[in-house]
Amino acid sequence: MRIAIEDLDVTLSGRTVVSGVHLVAEDGEIAGLVGPNGSGKSTVLRTVYRYLRPHAGRVLVGGTDIRSLTAPEAARRVAALPQERGSDFELSVRAVVAMGRTPYKRAFSGEDPADRDIVAAALAGVGLAGAEKRRFSALSGGERQRVLLARALAQDPKVLVLDEPTNHLDVLHQVELLALLRAQRRTTLLSLHDLNAAASLCDRLHVLHDGHVVASGPPRQVLTPELLADVFGVRAAVIDHPLTGDPLIAFDHRSPAAALPQATVPLTADR
Amino acid sequence: MGPVGAPAAVTAERAEEREPGARAPWVAAALAAALLVALTASVCLGSSDVPLGEVWSSVARGISGQEPVPGTRDLIVWQLRVPRALLAAVVGAGLGLVGTAVQALVRNPLADPYLLGISSGASLGAVAAIVLGAGAGGMLGLGLSAAAFAGALASFALVWAMARRGGGFSPLRLVLAGVGIGQFLSGFTHYLVLQAGDDQQTHGVLFWLMGSLGGAQWSTLGVPVAAVLLGLAALLARARALDAVLMGDETAAGLGVDVARLRRELFVVTSVLTGVLVSVSGAIGFVGLMVPHVCRMVVGGAHRVLLPVAALFGAVLLVVVDLVARTALPDQELPVGVVTALIGAPTLLYLLDRRLERG
Repeated sequence: MRIAIEDLDVTLSGRTVVSGVHLVAEDGEIAGLVGPNGSGKSTVLRTVYRYLRPHAGRVLVGGTDIRSLTAPEAARRVAALPQERGSDFELSVRAVVAMGRTPYKRAFSGEDPADRDIVAAALAGVGLAGAEKRRFSALSGGERQRVLLARALAQDPKVLVLDEPTNHLDVLHQVELLALLRAQRRTTLLSLHDLNAAASLCDRLHVLHDGHVVASGPPRQVLTPELLADVFGVRAAVIDHPLTGDPLIAFDHRSPAAALPQATVPLTADR
Repeated sequence: MGPVGAPAAVTAERAEEREPGARAPWVAAALAAALLVALTASVCLGSSDVPLGEVWSSVARGISGQEPVPGTRDLIVWQLRVPRALLAAVVGAGLGLVGTAVQALVRNPLADPYLLGISSGASLGAVAAIVLGAGAGGMLGLGLSAAAFAGALASFALVWAMARRGGGFSPLRLVLAGVGIGQFLSGFTHYLVLQAGDDQQTHGVLFWLMGSLGGAQWSTLGVPVAAVLLGLAALLARARALDAVLMGDETAAGLGVDVARLRRELFVVTSVLTGVLVSVSGAIGFVGLMVPHVCRMVVGGAHRVLLPVAALFGAVLLVVVDLVARTALPDQELPVGVVTALIGAPTLLYLLDRRLERG
């Protein structure tokens, strides 16, 4: 199901955080939001899973304004994986994944066999079949993230929205999680810090800078050395990955694109 | 995707560990049986012990509406001990429910029903009634309960107004408003205690502040019973939403829960229930903190299971505690709150310690 964000403005306690944002994820596409810290990535995503209300503009999911739906209707279309990682309330893995059925349930209604099948399938889908009884808070970061993805899958959504899903994961767990997302073949909108991960995973990228979308398109078109210098302030070469052929951004970790005004160490040209 | 399959094998060794929610029916059945035993013991034992057979015949006469037989202990059993045991069960169940709900409301497993300042208002109302003489006639009669409930509502309104400012209703705002207003009202309460006219008044006030079930009568059981049943239903109806907010507000919103509305509703439900409980029994500490915590360890955190189990365990616990409070010392009754603290605190510490070792 296609996601389209049109002319979105978000104001938080009087401050405009995001303005005039247009972006799209076509049906079945993985679209990435990238941008420096504070550029508004999370804010945009929060309007899609209805945690935040747009000040102006619309979020369309399958052509319907997400605000015109009831909260459960919206949650049956869009499943979110925010940056929250839960707290220690003795929830079992199974209980966490079963939360995905919330938008389908009325007050007092219990679980039926169909729910149980969906929960089991979602756990199996992230490679954690058999982990139902474990305590969620006792899992490793990578396992926890996969359980949360299973919870989102149990929601049986048309669209997945993920906010920095690979944060705090080691490389293997990042690769595993991205592979799971790829295998979903579901319309996905996610923010990523790691530009190389974004370049490899996403069909389309939207670059946010100070609350505006400054570039949109396929990763290879968007991630140019000029954009990396202008938006992210880093020097980088973009080459082909020797193993996968994906665009590979080789950062210069020695010096930023422009000398910082307050830099105390002189930067020499011939480094 | 080979490596993704691996953790299933790692978890296999834990497979014999049953999912906590699955034991809930057995736990509930065991607690229901324990409640029956505890109620019976509580009616049999006391300043004078009544044999089981005599208790049953008194209860049977009471239920069928017959007058107590003069010269027997019918009166003690049916007019004093049965209502008191039932009140203990109802208040304990209510505290277990409120504790569970407040912990989800502020997303902190160590929150207490009294954290939100409601009990401070109730205490102030009750103490004002005792000291200023509004409830002079019936120390623990309806007048006192009404004053306590009025105080609870007043503090609820204050905390609501404070916590709502700026639009949000965040856990932190609620706790800060609750603690702040609670302390403010406690200041008045302490002042009033010092103004108490005589030793007996002071004693009455202190006893009430530490919690007591001594005011139990058939006529005053109805309100708390109704409040606890309605509270249980209101919370069970929101069991899934309660689970969802444990994970975080954004997660809950993404699951289709209107978090702001849920918080408002939970705050109202827990405040009214706390107000009713405190107004009939004083502020009995520790039950609302400990019961949900222990129950989570046994049946897990999912509320559809946790809420009824916490209610049952709270009921059993307070019936037993009240029995201890009445019988531990000869010729003297201890305030219930003293016993809950003396038993409850070490139990909680022991359980937490074991829990941490188990990891």
